[in-house]
Amino acid sequence: MRKIIIALVASFIALTTTAGNANNSISDTDKNLIKAALQGWSIRLSAGYNLGGTAPLPLPVEIRGIEGFNPGLNLSLKGSAEKMFGKGNWGLRWGVELETKGMTTNADTKNYYMEVANGDGIVSGYWTGKVKTKVKNTYLSIPVLAVYKINERWNVSAGAYASFLLDGEFTGAAYDGYLREGNPTGEKTELDNALYDFSKDIRKFQYGVQAGAEYKIYKHLSVFADLKWGLNGIFPSDYSSVTFALYPIYCTLGFTYLF
Amino acid sequence: MRKTLFFAFIVFATSFLFTSCIQEEAPSAECDILAVKATWLEENKEILSGKPMISNNAVRFYVNEETNVETLKTLDPEFELTPGAHIEKLDRIKMNGERGVYLFYKTTSEDGKWSKEYEVSFTKQTVIDTEATFSFEHFAIEKKYYVWHEEDNKGTKLSWWASGNAGFSMSGQGKTPADFPTSVDSAGVKGYGVKLTTRSTGTFGKMMKMPIAAGNIFIGEFLTANATKAPLEATRFGFTIAPSKPVSLTGYYKYTPGEVFTNKAMEEITDRRDTCAIYSVLYEIDPNNVVTLDGSNVLSSERIVLVAQLETPGEESEWTEFEIAYKEANGNTFDYKKLENGEYAITVVASSSKDGAYFEGAVGSTLCIDEVKINWENR
Repeated sequence: MRKIIIALVASFIALTTTAGNANNSISDTDKNLIKAALQGWSIRLSAGYNLGGTAPLPLPVEIRGIEGFNPGLNLSLKGSAEKMFGKGNWGLRWGVELETKGMTTNADTKNYYMEVANGDGIVSGYWTGKVKTKVKNTYLSIPVLAVYKINERWNVSAGAYASFLLDGEFTGAAYDGYLREGNPTGEKTELDNALYDFSKDIRKFQYGVQAGAEYKIYKHLSVFADLKWGLNGIFPSDYSSVTFALYPIYCTLGFTYLF
Repeated sequence: MRKTLFFAFIVFATSFLFTSCIQEEAPSAECDILAVKATWLEENKEILSGKPMISNNAVRFYVNEETNVETLKTLDPEFELTPGAHIEKLDRIKMNGERGVYLFYKTTSEDGKWSKEYEVSFTKQTVIDTEATFSFEHFAIEKKYYVWHEEDNKGTKLSWWASGNAGFSMSGQGKTPADFPTSVDSAGVKGYGVKLTTRSTGTFGKMMKMPIAAGNIFIGEFLTANATKAPLEATRFGFTIAPSKPVSLTGYYKYTPGEVFTNKAMEEITDRRDTCAIYSVLYEIDPNNVVTLDGSNVLSSERIVLVAQLETPGEESEWTEFEIAYKEANGNTFDYKKLENGEYAITVVASSSKDGAYFEGAVGSTLCIDEVKINWENR
């Protein structure tokens, strides 16, 4: 896995350095880049903001309301290469992206089945009350996209991505409610505040599909929006502490510098 | 303009996903008896004594001494239930010795998927027999843990004893009844005794800032719903069951403190050694507005009239007899008239860690207790 990443990064560096070889004067566009551009190649560097949620879809009936949502500061940095085929409008874009996907929510739940297994015991039951969740996951992602140029200004892209977890946080609290032990007829225990931390159980590999559009403002600058839709839940599917699959669904808003 | 619209659309679409798809609320899955209807209590106030006690699977009523047991069989109390739930009376009646009856009800949740049975008991309030010794021979396994009761000579079940086992159950640590803080000692002084052990509540307990659970047994009630939210108030001590003025508390105990004394944060306190608690308290209570003493004030309330407390318990590895005299407290004196009026409640409490209610103690501390007797003044 690590080898693939290194190879990708290396090919990137190779591409950019050969493009910018021995030229002391700072020019608007390197000659080699122009040459590359003539063959349909281009290099781009993007920065953006990830706005979205890590959420079950559809929202299960146990969730009665979302009382608070804070998207947090989730940044994305991406370097990508693009190759347009022939003289047509179609091309391929791939890259390496360092991004954070996170949010904080306060939800109201009713009869939400949960099971917290610690090495030394299992607590299971139905929770009715509030749940605060904080997610902050940092990934190294590799998007591979098909690009279609509508005109000089607009292009759209669609494809898939693979993400590798670098750092994960999934913490929160169950508060102001009660737990019914075992099943909804079980012994009722009121809880003020029970903290949880499932960070270590987050899946290391995510994949999904994404689609976006880009608008070129200037020759070297464009703005874009990409919707990234996770196709596997952030926890293993047999994970019992969080019984419904949570999909990362985020929209990246940002700008791209076009070399 | 198009650009702005496009961005607005994306933002809207994303937020739409998370906010607008709250599903219609499912019918309730719960089927609790929440209360006894006030109108029914009013209609039957002639036979009822005190307030009914409602737990997850039982409702207990106490009735006056002169009530005919046959009348009790015909009672059909009206309950307030979880909204949407319904209830049916089961065609089953069980006698409780000669002093009470058990009726049975089944509740079903609004969604129809869940139901449970309630044991509704009507019992004549019984006072402790002046010759009785609490030998802890009557126990059963309820759910996953032991529960104790007393019986009179006619086999009437008297649900006087309570423990914190139901609270410990939440920690997920109790796999067998013997893993619970309050369990059976099969080698009692005579027959069985009670074994109280301070247990770790594991990761879940630590998360709740309740890292240990001391073994305890007491005359009174344990409110499971309060166990984690307000643990001191979960232990309601005492019933109005004193037959006379208590003179002394006798019994047998064994005690081994655990090695490592810890505080609420589960930090080791090197200069403290665990000790047990054995005591009995008789206190004033308003029969028309029953407010019991609880873990926060059982040894400090102004309402305490008499207290018997094992002052410096030893670390005895063999059964050791104790005898503790009841002493007057707070300048109060015992008044037989108040006793007749039901204005005194009495409790007996034993715990494997004296400050277990505050989650201070040593995991492994073990107190065994048996053949406990309150000696009463002859009238």
